[in-house]
Amino acid sequence: MISRSKTSPEHVEVRVLRQAAPQQRSYWERFRVAYEPDMNVISVLQRIAARPRTADGQDVTPVAWDCNCLEEVCGACTMVVNGRVRQSCSALVDRLLEENPAEIELRPMTKFPVLRDLMVDRSRLFRALEKVKAWVPVDSYHDMGAGPRQSPEAQQESYPYSQCMSCGCCLDACPQYRKIELIQRDDETDEQFAARQAATYDRNFVGPHAIAQAILFNQNPTGQMNADERVEALTAPGGVQVCGNAQNCVSVCPKEIPLTTAIAQAGRAATVHSIKRWFDR
Amino acid sequence: MAGETNDSWLVRHEFLLRRLHSLSGLIPVGAFMIVHLLTNSSVQNGPGAFQKNVYLIHSLDALLPLVEWVFIFIPIFFHGIFGIVIIAGGLPNTSSYPNASNIRYVLQRVTGVLAFLFIVWHVFHMHGWIHADWWIDGVAKNLGGAQFKPYNAASTAGLALQSFVVIVAYVVGVLACVFHLANGIWTMGITWGAWTSPAAQRRANAVCTVFGVGLAVIGLAALQGMWAQGRGEALEEAIRIEDQQYNAAVQAGILKPNEEKRAQPSEAEPGREASVDQASARSPR
Repeated sequence: MISRSKTSPEHVEVRVLRQAAPQQRSYWERFRVAYEPDMNVISVLQRIAARPRTADGQDVTPVAWDCNCLEEVCGACTMVVNGRVRQSCSALVDRLLEENPAEIELRPMTKFPVLRDLMVDRSRLFRALEKVKAWVPVDSYHDMGAGPRQSPEAQQESYPYSQCMSCGCCLDACPQYRKIELIQRDDETDEQFAARQAATYDRNFVGPHAIAQAILFNQNPTGQMNADERVEALTAPGGVQVCGNAQNCVSVCPKEIPLTTAIAQAGRAATVHSIKRWFDR
Repeated sequence: MAGETNDSWLVRHEFLLRRLHSLSGLIPVGAFMIVHLLTNSSVQNGPGAFQKNVYLIHSLDALLPLVEWVFIFIPIFFHGIFGIVIIAGGLPNTSSYPNASNIRYVLQRVTGVLAFLFIVWHVFHMHGWIHADWWIDGVAKNLGGAQFKPYNAASTAGLALQSFVVIVAYVVGVLACVFHLANGIWTMGITWGAWTSPAAQRRANAVCTVFGVGLAVIGLAALQGMWAQGRGEALEEAIRIEDQQYNAAVQAGILKPNEEKRAQPSEAEPGREASVDQASARSPR
């Protein structure tokens, strides 16, 4: 702590794990950005984009990254900052330099296919939400009227789950969630490839985010009508049973969603569901 | 759906297999281990007390192998082999995320492998795996196996533990088994949905910790007790008590004489073969 001088550093050293395109080899590149007060990782990346030159003076292509809301509610700018997955918009440079004054290390998320540099393809995350039917089906030709009323207590219980922004932090930190990167074959149409991709995603772990969303919609009075379908999806291959209880998901979740509670609730629902199915069939 | 038909049997029955794996860890494998450690720790009441318990187990007689296979060996093999499948599906990341539960995730897998290797070796070391003469006399004994004799229980177990390497292996093995069970009960409670909220999981963790420490004390007491019976005067006294119990039981007609379950004269203490107990054992009536 004593080494931290009151005068701010002149430069911020940034090390970025880059990759030109999917399937290609990744490589590290070092950049030096002039320090400004109150920077976040996005503004650091903007400075690099404005003048894409490495620390040793080589002109390179600008570093690509994703971002959107800039207030930690969209999840688009998620990346691995100093070894920990988080949103780069809320990763403040001053805080990061307190952790490690020497440099800031940026890597793309580790569990999704890299598109370019810090941009990844998170479609598996959304496929998992489809698998568990994380929605309330209300489409109809007729006006069905208002849904059942929900008690304030039930609202309180559900609210944390509704804050999920599908950023994928929980998946990146999960030791049971493994990266899947498929390559389209020459003899495969786009539709065939998409179908193969969906089938592969479906038999691998859905992840804590999807389990929590299934619980959210199973708690909803209207969503409850499809509760069995969701529990069925949660006990299918790649379901809640794959969880290894490392509980990293809950510790990295930027929205502090009680993911491990959702997992245990899903486990309980799966226990009740399978016993019921065993005796009712 | 092309994906569904191509799925392997292991993938299609993933939920059932994982739940069976979770259940088998407690019932019967964990339950057996608790009984096993409690039984063995009875040696702290002397070799006679332990010997009495061994006779109780061996009173199952012809049913014993069936009980062992159905309730012990098959579940342990299932739990161990499927456990390796589970381990292969994970990618530990404690260096990036050193949370307590993440470290326990890794420890659960490390102790699982240690426990499985220890149990396989332990069954060889004490029982020699297969009860065939050619194997026991020709192979197992030459490799340091088959050292336990149920009708000289404490003395043979104690003798088998005298080497420093062996006792260290047993301490590590027992502690690995105990951690794996105690932490396994905690994760099982989440898996089956017994404790859901973070507060409930913390309380369950405290209960599992107390249980684990208690079982570790029992396990280490069993080891220390056995080890103490295998040396010096205690060993001679243990053999005397065991032989006395054997002869009394045989003479009372409540035990079938079985020399194979006793320490053989060549491996027992000097002077043993000259004892009158041997003679009376061979002619029980």
